[in-house]
Amino acid sequence: MRRAKKIGLLLLVIFIAIQFLQPARNKSGQVMPTDISRTVPVSPAVSALLKTGCYDCHSNNTNYPWYATVQPIGWIVNGHIQKGKAELNFSEFGSYTIRRQKSKLKSIANQVNDNSMPLASYTFIHKNAKLSKEDKALIIDWATQTNEAISTKQ
Amino acid sequence: MKNTFMCMAIVAIALSACNNNTTEEKKTNDTTNSAATAAPVTGGSSVKDIVEHYLHIKNALTKDDGKEAANGGKALADVFAKFDQSSLTAEQKKTFTDIQADAKEHAEHISVNAEKIAHQREHFATLSKDVYDLVKTLGGGQTLYNDFCPMYNNNKGATWLSETKDIKNPYLGKTMPTCGTVKETIQ
Repeated sequence: MRRAKKIGLLLLVIFIAIQFLQPARNKSGQVMPTDISRTVPVSPAVSALLKTGCYDCHSNNTNYPWYATVQPIGWIVNGHIQKGKAELNFSEFGSYTIRRQKSKLKSIANQVNDNSMPLASYTFIHKNAKLSKEDKALIIDWATQTNEAISTKQ
Repeated sequence: MKNTFMCMAIVAIALSACNNNTTEEKKTNDTTNSAATAAPVTGGSSVKDIVEHYLHIKNALTKDDGKEAANGGKALADVFAKFDQSSLTAEQKKTFTDIQADAKEHAEHISVNAEKIAHQREHFATLSKDVYDLVKTLGGGQTLYNDFCPMYNNNKGATWLSETKDIKNPYLGKTMPTCGTVKETIQ
């Protein structure tokens, strides 16, 4: 009994201690000049969908849930964000080479089309990020058309 | 002990390869290439290396072998990262940088998706266009055929490069190995 108590106490101390190890927040609070909205035309409807469905992991501005301040959940969330941003960062879209921008738009259309994005684990928690059939069509059309517009521009 | 010896050997090769580059320059292109393949830590890669590993992926996909395609993808990402740009003109450099940023990423995706061959093929389609533009700009060092498969991706079609004139389709694999036509021969 004493032993169990000791272990419990130790775990509690560790839990409290790790709360002080907060990862840096992914929040820049400003729209970068390289933001996708300043690089290619994005309609307000598409922009709203991207913000709720993608920006948490694919931009420099995450809308954090309250529990992300609790460790180690915050670390896991942070890991997802870093990985997502490395793959595609809408805040830095303008800094990509033309070819890469086109590839990204193609991948956006593909992944939204085959439901691999937004991740099921993400929409499970963020119900409002779930894309309806119309939402999907809107994003796919936008990504496809923008992709084609870039090719003619070059 | 064995490891230490290996490290020393690699460093020695690295140093000697660097010397070669500076003293003998372009004429020894071929010898530096073979040195680079022998010791991957050293020297830059060439278009020849890129084409070789691209074809590695292509041939794996014609056999529906996602694992082998992944190996090719890893090697391709590597040679893209280490490409020796010293002999390129400013204009070529610009094109190369544009292609490199994109193609390297496709190669990486192919390398980590051994279990998802459909996804590999998606990336391979764009990668093929990148490598095509690359050999058009810098030369492929060998005869290549630009092939076209009209059926892939819901009849949107896609192209690929091949070292043989015979059609071996990397998009449909074993289900339709001979679907496609040669669109262009690149010397």
